[in-house]
Amino acid sequence: MTRGGIYLHIPFCEAKCIYCDFCSYAGLEALHGAYVDALLVQIRQSGSSRHGLTFDTLFVGGGTPTVLTSEQLAAIVAACRTWLGLPEDAEATVEANPGTITQASLAALLQAGYNRLSIGVQSLHDQELALLGRIHDVRGALEAITAARAVGFSNLSLDLMYGLPHQPLARWQATLERALALAPEHLSLYALTIEERTPLARSIALGALPAPDDDLAADMYELAQEMLSACGYAQYEISNWARRSPGDQPGQPPARACQHNLHYWRNEPYLGLGVGAHGYDGQRRYAHIVDPEEYVRRVAAGESTLASSEAISRDQAMDETMIMGLRLANGVTRDRFRRRFGVELDAVYAEALAALANTGLLEVDATGIRLAPRGYLLGNRVFAEFMRAGS
Amino acid sequence: MTHNNAAPIAHVRNFCIIAHIDHGKSTLSDRLLELTRTIGERDMAEQVLDRMDLEREKGITIKAKAVRMLHDHADGQQYELNLIDTPGHVDFSYEVSHALSACEGAVLVVDAAQGIEAQTLANLYLALEHDLDIIPVINKIDLPAARPDEVAHEIEDLLGVPADEVLRVSAKEGLGAQELLKAIVERIRPPMGDDSRPLRALVFDSHYDSYKGVIAYVRVMDGIIEAESLLLTMSNRRRIEPMEVGVFGPQMRPVAQLGAGDVGYVATGLKNVRDCRVGDTITGATQPVAEPLPGFAPPKPMVYAGLYPVDNADYTDLRDALEKLQLNDASLVFQPESSTALNMGFRCGFLGLLHMEIVQERLEREHELELLATAPSVEYQVLLTNGEVIIVDNPSELPNLSQVEEIHEPWMHISLFSPSEYIGPLMELTTGRRGEFEKLEYLDERRVVLEFYIPLAEILVDFHDQLKSRTRGYASMDYAFDGHRPGDLVKMDILVNEEPVDALSLIVHRDSAYDKGSLLVRRLKEVIPSQLFAVPIQAAIGSKVIARTNVKATRKDVLAKCYGGDVTRKRKLLERQKEGRRRLKRVGKVDLPQEAFMAVLRLND
Ligand SMILES: Nc1nc2c(ncn2[C@@H]2O[C@H](COP(=O)(O)OP(=O)(O)O)[C@@H](O)[C@H]2O)c(=O)[nH]1
Ligand SMILES: [Mg+2]
Repeated sequence: MTRGGIYLHIPFCEAKCIYCDFCSYAGLEALHGAYVDALLVQIRQSGSSRHGLTFDTLFVGGGTPTVLTSEQLAAIVAACRTWLGLPEDAEATVEANPGTITQASLAALLQAGYNRLSIGVQSLHDQELALLGRIHDVRGALEAITAARAVGFSNLSLDLMYGLPHQPLARWQATLERALALAPEHLSLYALTIEERTPLARSIALGALPAPDDDLAADMYELAQEMLSACGYAQYEISNWARRSPGDQPGQPPARACQHNLHYWRNEPYLGLGVGAHGYDGQRRYAHIVDPEEYVRRVAAGESTLASSEAISRDQAMDETMIMGLRLANGVTRDRFRRRFGVELDAVYAEALAALANTGLLEVDATGIRLAPRGYLLGNRVFAEFMRAGS
Repeated sequence: MTHNNAAPIAHVRNFCIIAHIDHGKSTLSDRLLELTRTIGERDMAEQVLDRMDLEREKGITIKAKAVRMLHDHADGQQYELNLIDTPGHVDFSYEVSHALSACEGAVLVVDAAQGIEAQTLANLYLALEHDLDIIPVINKIDLPAARPDEVAHEIEDLLGVPADEVLRVSAKEGLGAQELLKAIVERIRPPMGDDSRPLRALVFDSHYDSYKGVIAYVRVMDGIIEAESLLLTMSNRRRIEPMEVGVFGPQMRPVAQLGAGDVGYVATGLKNVRDCRVGDTITGATQPVAEPLPGFAPPKPMVYAGLYPVDNADYTDLRDALEKLQLNDASLVFQPESSTALNMGFRCGFLGLLHMEIVQERLEREHELELLATAPSVEYQVLLTNGEVIIVDNPSELPNLSQVEEIHEPWMHISLFSPSEYIGPLMELTTGRRGEFEKLEYLDERRVVLEFYIPLAEILVDFHDQLKSRTRGYASMDYAFDGHRPGDLVKMDILVNEEPVDALSLIVHRDSAYDKGSLLVRRLKEVIPSQLFAVPIQAAIGSKVIARTNVKATRKDVLAKCYGGDVTRKRKLLERQKEGRRRLKRVGKVDLPQEAFMAVLRLND
């Protein structure tokens, strides 16, 4: 049986952040109940058409899943157990935003079966949080983390952003120091990206906010690499670090790595449900429609909620295996590639490998290929070589 | 209805329409086609004669076309009117000349708001040289800004045609078009010529058809051409067995014969346009005439640039495409060239910058090539210290200064037509570019003609735009080659990543070298995308660096997280990025965009 993950999308937020172009809506509280019901229906329906997939991770993302009640979130994880066979001990992550959680609600989530919490901290500087349009302040973030620890979450991940408007290097360093002091099991660090048609993009276009400085962002990234490594974190993906554990094996991701995201990076299947959610069953990639009301209506009417569905050719699957896999510190191993596709990686990508030789961006050895340290920040230059024309 | 000599020669009129660009030639042609029902109104896309997409986009007529119309005149007789459309842009004035040789008359269109402009006069003088009957017409009388009475007087002063005899039309609204048809019959003389004499037909244009070979557009002076005729080109004695003889209606339509005075085409079946050149005379193979008709001097390119495929593998495709294009465009010349930076390509000669732009676009669009063009250059005559004179149309080929005695560059004589209040700005523009003032004349109380001598290199780039912007669009220009003159010129080399890029070399006047060098390296810095390493950019004269700057290294180019597993979006993003980089040209270790080679064009802003 092929293993895969479950991604469920909760498209609700209390307020929309200025950089967000993702599928999330503020002010749809009235729809929460009906939306959860629709999700539950889809979870049940997916159970009967699993095509030989077993699910070993759950990720409830958003939006802000924690704008839902603990009961609603509990019903979701329970449905995954019942209908999709999600094991008791499987990694079950829920994204949580400070300002939408309390000690009591966190206790209920742990009780319900969520064993990993991904907290959208973003920054530990009040002005930055305000500028981004986050609903919480530093104190709220720290309280949320303390509460999570207090109720017994032993697998915490913090999201942080760098390259923010007006953010000097020293302030990023301060955010990192504070975050490290909280000793999370996992850290995701994302450079602020300017997405079209967001308030942030407009402010920059109008000159109200400075355009991002790639050089500074690169300095911030390198600083984070140094600091996190010194504090016992292993960088296992371009933007992700996990605290090292005693049993970690070289050549394998650390135990605290996000198992769900590893499915993506290994180009493994995942079931995606909810508005705007993407999924991949190993043959096809699909995406759901983005309008929550319409979603609810279609589920009730027994209609499909797919917005698109694309068959993935074998060549495409190979390319995707490369562009996703190369994000991992361990890269893509020859073994894994051969087992999956029955051909040699070096033969399929001779051209790419030749083009990248001597660029210092890629490491090639007997086990496989991976980004060289210099390649982490220049990943696109590497990935692009692995996109073969016409595939 | 038969089309063979539908009209006796006395009922044939061959005419063209000449005008300054945008004065309404194409629109007026459309009206005539409609009125004579040559084209049904439903088939009437606007400006039918502008066949190529490019022409429609640029709103200009590039190649002359011929079309036969049948007109029922007030005298109860049917007349055959052959209209030859002509290009208005100065780059293409040689084609105007071709068209005029096939005509007895010309309709001179003048915009009622703009009045007489540079190409109005230039084209009119050409028409007078060809001894054509001129029918002046004021167009766009529907415009609120129209001042037809004043323009009529300008025309009277110019041509001696009484102002009240000047036709007034609105091509857009069809006003006065019927009167124009009447005037064409009455004021243009019928062709002379005799069906019974040996055949002499002038090739005034051509295009290439992959089935029928070179299609020669002909004006028959004497004799008859039939599909069965055996023909001969007089310049190179090529035998032609026509596949078809016909007229343009405006689509190609076969007819049994073309007689003296007729305009039409011969599908020659020839595969090479050089075998049947524009300007040649076609005669009968069995009974050839002794003397050809006066031909045309082949147009001389004024501007040269290298065209290179972005992908070296496309070199032969580019050669094939250029050859094909040359079939339709005899003014395009090219020869293989190689550049250390750009590999194998072609040095191409163009009539002007517009011509260059059109050729490049057609190659890219119609032949799906990705091309890189180097900055345009003029042709220099270089006197070497050993007494030899060489021609240099590629700055990188200028020999070492120690071997150069003197460099001569082409100078132009230009006439600027403008309202008198812009004399100051125009003087400033031209003298700032080494122009020498010759004279100033008033056309009327408000309009002047300024004449200058100026190096061609100085008006090649951006001059026309400046002319327009400094006169709020009112000035127009005509130019003619004057001769070569010595100048204090030097070669400026551009080094990218410490290596000279031959395709970026340029020849500049010594006095402006420093300014141009600093500006050029700044411009290059703006357009060269950052690379994986820092790239120094320098401008140098000989071994002396006169300007330098640096393109910083890219440090960050990586996608953020994959939201909700949206791999497709990620793939698309990478595909777009990759596509973008494919358009770059690897020179040494550095990827350069087309804009780098064009940065020179923006040195005057
Ligand atoms: N108002 C008005 N516009 C006209 C008239 N004739 C042509 N135009 C416009 O003038 C522009 C140039 O016309 P076109 O026929 O392409 O000019 P050409 O460059 O001489 O062939 C076009 O936008 C036409 O629509 C006219 O009689 N009245
Ligand atoms: Mg036109």
